[in-house]
Amino acid sequence: MKKKLWFLLVLMFSLTLLLAACSDDSSSSDGGNDNNGNSNNEGQSDNGGDNNDGEASGPQEGGTIVYALDSEPKGLFNINFYGDAVDAQVIEFFDDSLIQYDENLKPQPNVAEWATEDNKVYTFTFQEGVKWHNGEELTVNDWVFALETIAHPDYDGPRWANVKNIEGAQAFQDGEADSISGLNVVSDYEIEVTFDQARVNNLENLWTYAMSQKEFEGVEVADMSASDQVRVNPVGIGPFKVTKIVPGESVQFEAFEDYWQGAPHLDGVVLKVIDPSLVIGELQNSQLDMTEFHPSSFDEISAMDNVEVLRAPGVSYYYIGFRLGNYDSDAGKATMDYEKYQNVELRKAMAHAINRQEWVDEFFFGLGAPINRPVPSAHWISADDADLENHFEYDPELAKQILDDAGYVDTNDDGWREDPNGEEFSVKFSHYATNNPTFETRAKTITQYWEDIGLKAELEMTDANLYYDLLEEGDEGMETFFGGWSTGADPDPTALWQSDALWNFPRWVDEKNDQLMADALDMDIVGTDQDKRKEIYVEWQQNINEQIPMIPIAELEEVLAVSDRLQGVELDLSGKNSPHEWWVKQD
Amino acid sequence: MLKYSLRRILGMIPMLFLISIVVFSLAKLMPGDALGGEIDPLNTDPEYIEEMREKLGYNDPIVVQYFDWVTGFVQGDFGQSVKYKMDVSDLILEKLPNTIFLGMMSLLITYVLALIMGIYAGRKPYTVGDHLIGGLNYLGLAIPSFVAAIFAIYFFSFQLNWFPSNGSVDIMVQEGTLDYWLSRLHHVILPAIVLGALSTASYTQFLRNDIIDNSRRDFVRTARAKGTSRSKIYNVHILRNSIIPLVTFLGFDIVSIIGGAVITETIFTYPGIGQLFVNSVSSRDYSVVMAITMMFSCLVLVGNLIADILYGIVDPRIRLD
Repeated sequence: MKKKLWFLLVLMFSLTLLLAACSDDSSSSDGGNDNNGNSNNEGQSDNGGDNNDGEASGPQEGGTIVYALDSEPKGLFNINFYGDAVDAQVIEFFDDSLIQYDENLKPQPNVAEWATEDNKVYTFTFQEGVKWHNGEELTVNDWVFALETIAHPDYDGPRWANVKNIEGAQAFQDGEADSISGLNVVSDYEIEVTFDQARVNNLENLWTYAMSQKEFEGVEVADMSASDQVRVNPVGIGPFKVTKIVPGESVQFEAFEDYWQGAPHLDGVVLKVIDPSLVIGELQNSQLDMTEFHPSSFDEISAMDNVEVLRAPGVSYYYIGFRLGNYDSDAGKATMDYEKYQNVELRKAMAHAINRQEWVDEFFFGLGAPINRPVPSAHWISADDADLENHFEYDPELAKQILDDAGYVDTNDDGWREDPNGEEFSVKFSHYATNNPTFETRAKTITQYWEDIGLKAELEMTDANLYYDLLEEGDEGMETFFGGWSTGADPDPTALWQSDALWNFPRWVDEKNDQLMADALDMDIVGTDQDKRKEIYVEWQQNINEQIPMIPIAELEEVLAVSDRLQGVELDLSGKNSPHEWWVKQD
Repeated sequence: MLKYSLRRILGMIPMLFLISIVVFSLAKLMPGDALGGEIDPLNTDPEYIEEMREKLGYNDPIVVQYFDWVTGFVQGDFGQSVKYKMDVSDLILEKLPNTIFLGMMSLLITYVLALIMGIYAGRKPYTVGDHLIGGLNYLGLAIPSFVAAIFAIYFFSFQLNWFPSNGSVDIMVQEGTLDYWLSRLHHVILPAIVLGALSTASYTQFLRNDIIDNSRRDFVRTARAKGTSRSKIYNVHILRNSIIPLVTFLGFDIVSIIGGAVITETIFTYPGIGQLFVNSVSSRDYSVVMAITMMFSCLVLVGNLIADILYGIVDPRIRLD
């Protein structure tokens, strides 16, 4: 009897614990819902991200903010060596690029100005008096040093692609020259850069970050990425300087008083690695001033009183690709010989079957919008919808009609359509899997749309790390696949969609496509005329829109959570504004 | 004893060799590599990825790769991490202190709790208190550590604000000062409690059963007949005898100290070996995964050896030779 009683008590104790936890949770989310509409409106009204209140009194000096990184940095805290996006978030605080990009992703002068007449020879003029954190002054020699480090045969970072177009860079890497012949130092503040040929996008592809020559004196290139100068005491020319690094955990910055754009308002910044599952709690407790976050947390975070969500158009887009061919990775050639999806009518029907608006609302949490081209709408080359033939509007009846006309009909009465030859037809769809639980649902929803128009569809979730490798190999199960890309400042899509490009996963081979992309880069056709270049890219988008090698699904907005005490933060297509303009509202 | 130890140590060599084959082939069987996850048109170009694969020897025949790895490993060169671009040994050394600190703290908590509860339950077996302790213990054993960790963070970090939810130290404090160590302690307590409290069950029950067992022995009856007080019997005669077998657990504890708490460290964003291991597995950073797995295997073997030797020492009836 006694035993049973105790057992019951223990059981009840643990149950109450559970129930207490649950009820607490639901009540807090109830409270949040009340504010939901409010903060949402706020987020929309000042979309640009300017915080209005406090503007009148002007920025206040002082204060330290906490910024969350979602996973641990790898410790390569030098822009010339990093490869990891989290490292880049750290570097952003203490180093500046020589040129910057505006909200249309067009290059603008920053530390350096440039001039060119023929897109082959560029003259860069540096500002005088720009200081490194170690007290040295920035000169063009530091840039030459960076470029020569990257071109060095022992260099182990990923930036060679941004240097190799400079005249003589290849010879330098091969050891045939002692310096890069295309770099001609005129004075400490002026340098002439000559490329191996004139290109439309030479500037956008050039590596525009300096590296302190003084700091790395006596360090061999092969040892640099492991050196203390990179890992323990990194220096830059940015608004904050690194004071302390706890590896894998946090980085402490203090204001750099000699910053070339003026001393920052903040006293310091602390970057902390916080697991995404804890971010919401930390924000709620005002332990955190700024963080990027996954769209799935958008509702919860925008409901908080003490946090504002900044939104800006993004540079990424998502698509569903069709496998059209095979890729020979040794020869680097694609052939369009995979028969199953060659019929453009089939692809079109599958596009019309998908309710993209509903899907985007559900799985991008109101932060996405359907698109009809593989270019995000905010980018300056993006084509107007009016210029595109297909809008892929949701119309299952139309989709069924197209399939009927194309001969995809159910001939054996099993409820699913067969292909025009009467063979069983089943669409294999694959999506990458991470620990994000919404991915499987959203992939399943796509296959559901296809099944609704009578196409049998199978889903396969593949681990995210393998996903692109398997796509590269043309894995059996990946006939149709979900994918996403980001576009950079240089709009040239050659690396992604050129017929023989490694990342053209549909293996879509199309002469017109290649020709248009080549034309857009051709100096003889485009010259320095940006409008002409855009015109060609619009034509390129029209071509893709008609051929449908992939169904463009959606673009995604960038979001940033900012605590209500942090002011002056702006977010646009090119990213955050410089942290030296941020300030903390003090009571 | 010496002969026995030497024999065991020699016996470990073929064992380690076999383990190395298993570890290597399992690691290589993982599809993909550390460079595959990096595909991003803004950040990498295919040529660089290919070049790195060539440099890292990923394109060599598998046997060549294995021998490269083993030769390096035997000479203490664990290779380079692709993700971190630093020596694996440096990387492990960087994380090890955190893990050891966490392991020690959680062991301390386990020992203290187990000792208190075990002694109480052993002295008063089959009472309400004993059952309560037993119930709590088995509850602790049954709750997965990640559930406990999330609950602990929710209550103690977010609701009560007593402990930080992540990290191993507050970066604002000066290294080496008293504040620094207090901050480390403050950060480690929550994960240590989660780890330590959940694993008390085996110790407590072991101790309890041993105490009950011993209290029925002849020497206890003799002591009682002599008129020795009850508390002296329990605290001196029984406890001493009952704690000795627990010493043999020490061998396995070494493994758990260094091995780290893979899941707990990840949830608490506590930068130790466990977190490194999880990150390396998910990013296919082979050299790190293999080095850590080999380290764990060695520790398990050594831990077992220590446990066996300790057995021989505390209980001379067990002949090792």
